[in-house]
Amino acid sequence: MKNNYRTTVMAMSILLLAMLAGEVMAASKFTVLPSEVLLNGNFSQAQLVVTATKSGEIRIDSDDLTHTAKYTSLNENVVTVDQAGLLSAVANGTAEIQIRVGRSKRIVSVIVSDITESPELDFHYSVQPVLSKAGCNMGACHASQHGKGGFVLSVFGYDPSKDFSSIVKDELQRRVDYIRPQNSLLVLKPTAQVPHGGGKRLTVDSVMYDTLVQWVSGGAPGPKQDSPTAVNLIATPGRRVAKVGSTQQLQIQAAYSDGTTRDVTALARYDSLDDGLVKVSSAGLVETLGHGQAGVMVRFEGQATTFMVTIPYSADVDLQQWSEENLVDRFAAAKFRELGIQPSLICDDSTFIRRVYLDAIGGLPTPSETQQFLDLDDPDKRNKLIDQLLGLTGDPAQDVFNDRFAAYWTLKWSDLIRNSSATLGEQGMWSLHNWIRESFRVNRGFDEFVKDLIQARGSLYMNGPANYYQINKNSSDLTEATAQLFMGIRLECAKCHHHPFENYSQADYYGMAAFFSRVGTKNSEEFGLFGRERVVVVNPTGDVQHPRTRETMKPTVLHGEVIEHSLDRRIPLASWLTSTQNSWFAKSVVNRYVRYLMGRGLVEPVDDMRSTNPASNEAMLSALATSFEESGYDLKQLIRVIMTSRTYQLGSEPTELNASAGKYYAFYHAKRMPAESLLDAINTATGTTTKFKDLPAGTLAIELPDTNYPNYFLKTFGKPLRVSVCECERAPDENLAQALHTLNGDTIAKKISDPQSHVGKLLAAEAPVEEVIGHIFMATLSRAATPDEQILCKQIISEAPTVKEGCEDVLWALINSKQFIYIQ
Amino acid sequence: MNVKRLAGIFIALLFAIGVQAQTSYPMLMTLQPIAIQIGTTGELEVQSRYSMWGATRVIISGDGLSGEVVHPELPPAKEGEKPTEPSLTTLKIKFTAMPDAAPGVREFKLLTPRGVSTVGQIVVTRDKVVFENIKSDTSEDAVVFEIPATLTGVIEKGEDRDYFKFSIDAPTQLVFHCRCMRLQDRIHDLQKHADPMITVKNSQGSTIAANDNYFAADPFMVVKFEQAGEYYLEVRDVRFTGNKYWNYAIDVLNRPFATNVFPLAISATETTTFELIGESVPADKMVTHTPTTAGLSLGPQMVSLVDAQQVFDPVPVYVSEQTILLESMTDNNDKEHAQQVQVPAVINGRISNDADIDYYQFEAKKGDKISFEIIARRRQSMLDSYIVLENSAGVQLKTADDFQFGRRTYWDSRIENYVIPADGTYYIAVYDRHLRGGAEFVYALEITHSTPSFELLLDTAKTLTAPGTGGVVFCRVKRLNGFTGEVQLHVTGMPTGVIAYSGRILADAVDGCIIFQAAKDAPLGASNVRIYGTAVGGDDEDVVEVDALAHQETYMPGGGRNHFPVKVHTVSVQMPSDIQSLKLSTYEITLRPGDAVRIDIEIIRADGFDKNISLDVLFKHLSSIWGDTLPKGVTLDGSKSKILITGKETKGHITLVADDKIEKVGRQQVSVMANISLNFVMKATYSSLPLFITTVPNEVEPGK
Repeated sequence: MKNNYRTTVMAMSILLLAMLAGEVMAASKFTVLPSEVLLNGNFSQAQLVVTATKSGEIRIDSDDLTHTAKYTSLNENVVTVDQAGLLSAVANGTAEIQIRVGRSKRIVSVIVSDITESPELDFHYSVQPVLSKAGCNMGACHASQHGKGGFVLSVFGYDPSKDFSSIVKDELQRRVDYIRPQNSLLVLKPTAQVPHGGGKRLTVDSVMYDTLVQWVSGGAPGPKQDSPTAVNLIATPGRRVAKVGSTQQLQIQAAYSDGTTRDVTALARYDSLDDGLVKVSSAGLVETLGHGQAGVMVRFEGQATTFMVTIPYSADVDLQQWSEENLVDRFAAAKFRELGIQPSLICDDSTFIRRVYLDAIGGLPTPSETQQFLDLDDPDKRNKLIDQLLGLTGDPAQDVFNDRFAAYWTLKWSDLIRNSSATLGEQGMWSLHNWIRESFRVNRGFDEFVKDLIQARGSLYMNGPANYYQINKNSSDLTEATAQLFMGIRLECAKCHHHPFENYSQADYYGMAAFFSRVGTKNSEEFGLFGRERVVVVNPTGDVQHPRTRETMKPTVLHGEVIEHSLDRRIPLASWLTSTQNSWFAKSVVNRYVRYLMGRGLVEPVDDMRSTNPASNEAMLSALATSFEESGYDLKQLIRVIMTSRTYQLGSEPTELNASAGKYYAFYHAKRMPAESLLDAINTATGTTTKFKDLPAGTLAIELPDTNYPNYFLKTFGKPLRVSVCECERAPDENLAQALHTLNGDTIAKKISDPQSHVGKLLAAEAPVEEVIGHIFMATLSRAATPDEQILCKQIISEAPTVKEGCEDVLWALINSKQFIYIQ
Repeated sequence: MNVKRLAGIFIALLFAIGVQAQTSYPMLMTLQPIAIQIGTTGELEVQSRYSMWGATRVIISGDGLSGEVVHPELPPAKEGEKPTEPSLTTLKIKFTAMPDAAPGVREFKLLTPRGVSTVGQIVVTRDKVVFENIKSDTSEDAVVFEIPATLTGVIEKGEDRDYFKFSIDAPTQLVFHCRCMRLQDRIHDLQKHADPMITVKNSQGSTIAANDNYFAADPFMVVKFEQAGEYYLEVRDVRFTGNKYWNYAIDVLNRPFATNVFPLAISATETTTFELIGESVPADKMVTHTPTTAGLSLGPQMVSLVDAQQVFDPVPVYVSEQTILLESMTDNNDKEHAQQVQVPAVINGRISNDADIDYYQFEAKKGDKISFEIIARRRQSMLDSYIVLENSAGVQLKTADDFQFGRRTYWDSRIENYVIPADGTYYIAVYDRHLRGGAEFVYALEITHSTPSFELLLDTAKTLTAPGTGGVVFCRVKRLNGFTGEVQLHVTGMPTGVIAYSGRILADAVDGCIIFQAAKDAPLGASNVRIYGTAVGGDDEDVVEVDALAHQETYMPGGGRNHFPVKVHTVSVQMPSDIQSLKLSTYEITLRPGDAVRIDIEIIRADGFDKNISLDVLFKHLSSIWGDTLPKGVTLDGSKSKILITGKETKGHITLVADDKIEKVGRQQVSVMANISLNFVMKATYSSLPLFITTVPNEVEPGK
C-alpha cells in the first residue's frame, strides 16, 4: 500500500508539474501593449498590459497576465517599472523594459523626453488630475458647499480659477510654501503629516505628491486659457469575457484637445458598476466576483468611459427549444449563449392573458374574456389577442380596447410629463390630458408627439402640449426635463459642474438651455373674462449665459452642432431630438417600454442612460431602437414587437440556473401592478366600482387625469404626485402600509362584502359553491382553480359561519395573494 | 292679447299688490332650449335671477326674430290676504324666427316693471332643434336625432354627460359645431364658464373623434365616418363640472360649413368671389357674393353665401371703404419679395403655412402718421397676429401683438399713429405669434393715414328710469391717433316720456354721462337707443362721429366688475320704485380755487322703503371709479357732506370743493347719484337732473 501510495503521489506530482508546465507553456504566449512607450515630461507614467494570446491573437476571453508577469527596467536611470507594469519617467533617454512570463520574455522600448530640471507644471494638466484622483474635489470633501476646514474646491474641478485661488491665495497663502514646498499644507494634509479630516490621500514621494511639490516649487502657476483639455478616454481592453476570479489590468489613454494623448491609468478614477460581479482597484485592476455582465466606470478630467466584462454562467446552453419570433428573441438568445443562460419556459395561456391585459391596457380581463381566450384552439391566438388589445385588427368590432389602451398609456406619460392641476389649473391639466390621450388613441408617431411638446406654442387651453412650458417654466427646467424624458439623460449635474459620470460639461448644459431661452407667455382673453388663459409665445430675443465664463451660449445640441433658427430655436431642436441623428431618443423610448412590459429596462434606471451605465443587452437595445425608428416611431408596433416575442412570454419563475440572470430576460420579471391598475383589478375581480371626486361614476382609476385624489388606496400604493420627471417617483416597492391596507383596510373589505358584487349576485342566485369558487379564481387570477384549490376552498367555505362569509374569505385571500397583486 | 293691454293689466296689478322696495331688474341666466329653428315658433323657457314677474316685452337685437312673453296668471290669494306678487324666475317666451332670418346669435332683454333685464341670448339655426331632456346622462338614455340638427341641452351638474344618438346609412362626413362658452360671456352673474367637450363614439363605445376647444372653449370638428351604423355624441364639460345655466347648442351638419372666407375684407358695394375655408368644404370652393343695392354696412359683418348647390351658414367678413387689395400669389416671405402697396389700403392676406411671414412695402414721407391694424381673430380667423414695422435698413421701428379694442383685448394687432421718421420705403411684416399657419389663418391688414378719432365705451347695456326719476349712463372715451379734444355725447331713440341730457367728455378727462329723466307720467316702456359722440378731429376741423359701444356689466369672482360688449343699449321706464324723487338745492354752480359749495339733496322715498341710501358724484364699484365727470380739480369733500341717508331720512348734502388746479370749464354736466344696495355687489342708481359745474381759475396776472 505504501509503495502504491508513493507511486500514486509521484504520479500525481508528475502530472501536476506537467499541467503547470503546460499552463506556463500556454501562458508564455503573450503580448504586451503598448509595444513601445513614449513618456513626455516630468512625472509621466504609462501602464503596460500583458495578455495571453492564442494563435498569436488577443481574444476577448484572453487571460490578463499583467499582474503575474515580471518586469525589469534595463535602464532605471531613464525609466522605472513596478511589478504592476506601471512605468515612470526618470530622465530623458531611451530604455527597455523586459517582461517575463514563465520562460518567455518580451521587450518594450521606452523613449523618455522633455524631462527638465525645474519643470513649470500646468495647473489644469498636472495639478487638477492629482486633486481629482486623491478625491480632494469630491462633493463629500472640499467640494461640499462650504468645503472642509475652510478649504473649498469646485466639484470635480469645474472651476479651475476658483480652485487655484483657494489653494494659492485664500487664507493668506497658508496652503502653499514657496520656500519649502514640501511644507505646504497642500501636501502636508493629504499625506497626513499634519492632522487631516480626510485621512491619508497621498504617499510622500509618490508621483502625485511630487507633482504637487514641484508645482509649488515652480511658483504655483495658475490655470491658463489655452491649456489642453481631455476630450476622450479609451480603455484597453474595452471588453473582456472572463471567469469568476479572473483579473484584468486596465490601461487608460486620454486624448487631449491639442491632439496629444497621454496614459492616465494612474490618474483615472475607477468605480465598479456592479459590486456583486466585479471590483476594481484605484490602479485600474479589475477582479471578477460573480456571473453575469458588469462594467467598470473610468473617469478622468470630465471624460468617462466603461470597461465591460462578461462572466458566463456556464460554457454551454441548450436553446434548441428556443424559437425566435422576432428581433427581441434573436438578441435575447445571443445573450443567453454569450452568458450561458438557460431561459425559463414559456408561460401558460392563463398567465399570458392576464399579463398581456395588464401590460397593454392596465386592467384585468373579465372571466368571460379569459374563458373565451382559453377555449380558443388557435395557434396564433396570442398574437391575435395582442393585436386586439392594441387596436391593430382594423375591425371596429374587435378594436374595442383602444380607449383603455389610450387611458393607460396616458396615465404613464402624464406622470412623466407631470400633468397636474396643481401646476396647470383645471383647464390646462385637462387640455394636456386630452391631447396626450388623443395622441395615444390615434397612435400618433412618438416623434410627432415629442415634437409637438418641444416646439409647443399657443393657448394653454387649446393646445395641450403648450402646458409643457407651464410645467417647466425656465430654460434649466426645460433642458433637464427634455433630456431626461426623451433622451434618458440626467443632465442636471452639469448645471453647476461637469457631469460626474459622463462627458457633459456646463457648456453642453447651457448650449441645450439656449434652445429654450426665448420661450415666454402672454395673457389672453380668448377664454372669456374668467378664463385666465395664457399663451406660450416665442420672443425675438433672449439668451442664456454660461454661469462661469459669462459667455452667451449658442443653441447647441448635446455633443453636436450649433443650430440656429431665425424664428424659433426649438424647431431645429425638436427635429434633431426626434431624428435618427440623436440615437438617445429611440433608445430611451425603447428602453422605457422594455421596462414597462418586461419589468426591467435594458438600462436601469431607465432615465439614466450613459456610456458609463451600459445596457444589459446593447445589441437588443440598438435593434429595437432601429426597428422603432423604421416603424415611424410607432409605439403600438414597438409594444407589439415586444409582446409577441417569446422572451416576453417566458414564465416568471426563474430556474435554479438562471435566477440571477434576470437582467438578461431569462424569465419574465414579475412586477407589482401600479396603484391604479390594482384598484381597477380589485373592482373587476369583485364587480364593484370606485367613485372618484369630480369624475363620473364608472371612471377607471387608470383614467384619472390628475394627481391628487382623496383616495387612500391610490396614495398608499404609490400613485405619484407628478413632481418629478423621474420614473422613480412611482415607487414600485411594497411596504407595510400596503400590506396592512389590503389585509385590513376598508377598500377591499367593502368591495368583497358588497351585495352587488359578482360573488354577492352569484350567491343571491344560489349558484353552487363550485361555480362561485371557479368564478373567484377566474376573476382574480384569470385561471380555473386546481382540484386541490377547489377542495381547500370548499373546506374554508364549509368552516365559515356562512357560505357568504366563506366565499368572501376565499376572495379576500386571493386578492391578498401575490398572484393577484403581481403581474406574473 | 296685445302688448299694451298686457302691460296695462300688470301695472294695475302692481299697484294693487303694492310696490316692492329694493327689488332688482331681472338678470337673465339661461334660455332652454337655447336655439330656435328658422321658420318656426316655439315656447322657450328663460330663467333669471330676480323676478321677471310682470314682464311685458321681449326686446331683441337684430332682424328676423320676435318674442312674446307668455306670462302666468297671478296665483289666487289666500282668503283674507292681499294678492302677493310671486318671484318669477322661470318664464316662457314664444319666439318666432322668420323664414328669412339669418342664422346666428341674437341678444334679447325683457322689459319688466322693475326695469329692463340684463342680456340673454338665443341661437337662430337653420336646422331642427333637439332638446336634451336632462335625463340623457347615459348612452342608454341618449336622445335620438336625425341629421342635420341643432342639439341643445344643459351641462347642468357636476359629472354630467349628455348623450345623443344618431345613425348614418353610409360613410359620410359630419360637422359638429358647438356654441356654449361663447354664449356665457354676456351673462351678468355667471362667474364660472363652461369648457365643453364633445366626443363621438361608435356603438361599441369606442371613441371615433373628440374635440375640446376650437372657437376658444367651444369645440368644432369634422368627422369622417367610415362605416354605416349607430353613433353617439357625448357632451360634457371637460372638467366634469356643471352649472344649471350652462346651455349649449351643437349644430350637427351633413353639409359643408365654412369657418372662414378669403378675402376677409370686402367692399360694401362690389361683387366678391370668396374662397370658402373649412375642413368640411371641398377644396377651392368658390362662391360669388353681390351685395344688395343698399350695400353692406361698414365694419364687422356676417354674410350669407349661396351657390347653386346650397345655402351656406353666414361667414364673418370685414367691410371696408378703403381700397381692397389681395396678397400677391407670389412669394412675399421676406423683404426682398415684399409686396408693394399704397397707403391707404386694406390687404387681404393669409399666413398659409407654419412660420410663414408676409411682407408688404410702402412709400412714406417724413411726418406721415400711419396706423396699421390687423382684423383677423375678431373675425374668426385662427391667426394670433404679430406685426413688425421695419425701415429699409432692416431696423425694427415698432412691433405689436395683442391690442385692447374697447374694453377687451384680442389677438389682433394694431400700431397706432406711427410718425414716419424719414422719407423712404417701409415694410410691415405679418406673422402668427405661435408661428402657425394654414387656410384658416386669413387676415385683413388695414393701413391708413392716421386721423384723430376715438372709441366710446358705455358702462352698461341698459339705463333704468322710473316716472319722476332719472337714470345715468357713463361713457368712456378712448382717444386714438393723437386726438386730444373733448367729445359731445348724443342720444336718439328715447322711449316715450324720457328726456335725455347729454353731457360731454372734457378734453382732459375720459368720462362723460347722459342723464335720462322720465316724466312723472312716463309709461312703462323701453327702447334701444343710439348713443354716439361727436368731436372736432384733426387739422381740417372735420367733425368725427362715433357710435358708443354698449357693454353688459358682469361680476367677477370676489365681487369685481367687468364688461363684455353687446349690440345695443336699452333705456327703460319701470314702475315707480324705492326713490320717487331726487332733488338738488341747485343745479348750477360755479367754483373758483378754494371754493366749497354745498348742495342739499332731498329724496322722496317710496312708501315702506326705509333702507340706506348713499349719495355720490362718482360712479364707483368697490375701489374702482367707472364714471367721473367732475371737472379737473373738483372733488367731493366727504367731511363736509352727508352722503349716507339712513332709515327714514330723506335729506343729505354734498360739498364740492375746487383746488388750485382747476381750469376754465363751462357748465360740465354731472350726475348726483343716489345708490341703493341690492346685494353684496349690486346697486340701483338714481340720478338727479344734471348738475352743471363751471370752474373758473384765478386769473394770471400779466407778466407772471
